[in-house]
Amino acid sequence: MLEVQGLSKSFFGTPAVEDVSFQVGSGEILGFLGPNGAGKTTTMRMITGFLPPTAGTVTLDGIDISEHAIEAKRQLGYLPESLALYPEMRVREYVRFRAELCGVPRRDAAARTREALATCFVDDVADRPISNLSKGYRQRVGLAGALVHRPKVLVLDEPTVGLDPRQIMKVRELIRNLRKDHTILLSTHILPEVELVCDRVLIIDRGRIVASGTPETLRQEMAQTPGLTVALKGELTDADSVIRQLPGVVRAARIGAGGETRVVLETVQGADVREAIFREVVARSWTLLEMTPRQASLEDIFVRLVSAENRPGAEAEGEHPPAVEAAGQPGSEAHRA
Amino acid sequence: MRAFVAILRREFFAYFFSPLAWVVLTAFLLINGVLFNGILQALNQPETPRTAFLSLFFNNVFYWIFMMLVSSVIAMRLLSEERKSGSIETLLTAPVTEVTVVAAKFVAGWAFFLFLWLPTVLYPVMLSSHGKLDAGPVAGGYLGIALIGALFISAGTLASALTKNQIVAAVTGFGFIICVFFIGVFKEFVTDPSLREALAYLNLLEHMDDFSRGIIDTRRLVYVASTVVFFLFLSSKALEANKGR
Repeated sequence: MLEVQGLSKSFFGTPAVEDVSFQVGSGEILGFLGPNGAGKTTTMRMITGFLPPTAGTVTLDGIDISEHAIEAKRQLGYLPESLALYPEMRVREYVRFRAELCGVPRRDAAARTREALATCFVDDVADRPISNLSKGYRQRVGLAGALVHRPKVLVLDEPTVGLDPRQIMKVRELIRNLRKDHTILLSTHILPEVELVCDRVLIIDRGRIVASGTPETLRQEMAQTPGLTVALKGELTDADSVIRQLPGVVRAARIGAGGETRVVLETVQGADVREAIFREVVARSWTLLEMTPRQASLEDIFVRLVSAENRPGAEAEGEHPPAVEAAGQPGSEAHRA
Repeated sequence: MRAFVAILRREFFAYFFSPLAWVVLTAFLLINGVLFNGILQALNQPETPRTAFLSLFFNNVFYWIFMMLVSSVIAMRLLSEERKSGSIETLLTAPVTEVTVVAAKFVAGWAFFLFLWLPTVLYPVMLSSHGKLDAGPVAGGYLGIALIGALFISAGTLASALTKNQIVAAVTGFGFIICVFFIGVFKEFVTDPSLREALAYLNLLEHMDDFSRGIIDTRRLVYVASTVVFFLFLSSKALEANKGR
């Protein structure tokens, strides 16, 4: 539905986005993840035709955006990061304006507007001026404006930024509900958001795609050393050395605090040391309070990928910085999913 | 076309939500009222030549400076406001061309300019109740005003396309408008007869003089129309070039 090929953008010779390629299939939600300043907004602006790319093509539903801009933009709904509405307008008025702007026929405009207002749960404020609305409402009004002309592709740039937790939940739920009618590309720098909302993730750093895949495959491929956290009752000064001697344990460190001792340990890949730890604890008649396996979170992966790129020389000459290889062919992943 | 009308409508009504528009409207009516009053007083003096009433109205420095100021203030927000707030991003990612956006905004600004003149229709109505008024010069005068307004607002639109700062846009626009105005006045400084004649066609004072006598010269129509198109073309190019910034 949305296809991006070799997209690059330089500002005055400084590359901001380099050779980004990916596809988003019909009814899919693709998360575009990256630290601030990684090139997410620049990429999205190129996809929506707001910025002309230095190189590469964007195809929306088979239509090239630079060649047939008007037709391509008809298929597109865009929620910019710096969401700017017209504060003097009323909500209904604004959404209707967006409908007319996108060429919705006059006789359908009122019905479409009503529909969009209801979809985004803003029908209760339909007749209020936008200047009176909270940030969460405005965000949803912007979303209503972006989808009032029923675009096939929705591009949402940081849709939950600046909202309170309840509003964030509402907006996320809304986005999940939209997937049945739209293909969605969503950018964020908030990791849990990607896990909660997206089918597939694309991690971008310094203008390059450094990893892509479903949250699960990313977690598997990039899994860190498996480990456990064990909490024991009492001041047990030798707990770490005892656990360190168990087969399969690579490293163990003790964090003693008050009446509770915590041991954080790393194990060799594939080893399950939980039973051994339990027996050891029973044999010494300690009390086991807690035993938590540590799972590589997307956060760990993200931090590792992004910091790998920060290694000196990573961005020097070579066509593929090490991080790209570590990610395992981002392109092929995109096609597989 | 639907998009054009939508942008035009939004833009026009947005004027009424800004205090500036009301200040301009008030100042406009005040100054025009004072002028009208002054002219009536002058006409009541027996030694005043009996020229057409409206040509007195339109051919004084006061009127021109005020027109230039009002036009640059009306046009200053057209594009710079949206570029500053970022709402231009929504507009330009919608299925519309830059030309449509610029044209719709220009027409909205022009419509507001004409709206300012609406209350002045009362003057000829008032006058005609006291004596016979020649309808030709009145209609011609208003047509002349509409054309000059289009010229000035289009120059202001270009200024507004060049910057995000409305004040800068107003000052630049004022500069552009002065240039447009003085091109014709330069005719007084050249001796070459053909150049003199050419500049006379660009002379807005003569333009207004003709119209306020009820003379409609198509050459002047062509001049205004082509200059407006030229400015709008430049504006849309400027908008396109500055898109991502």
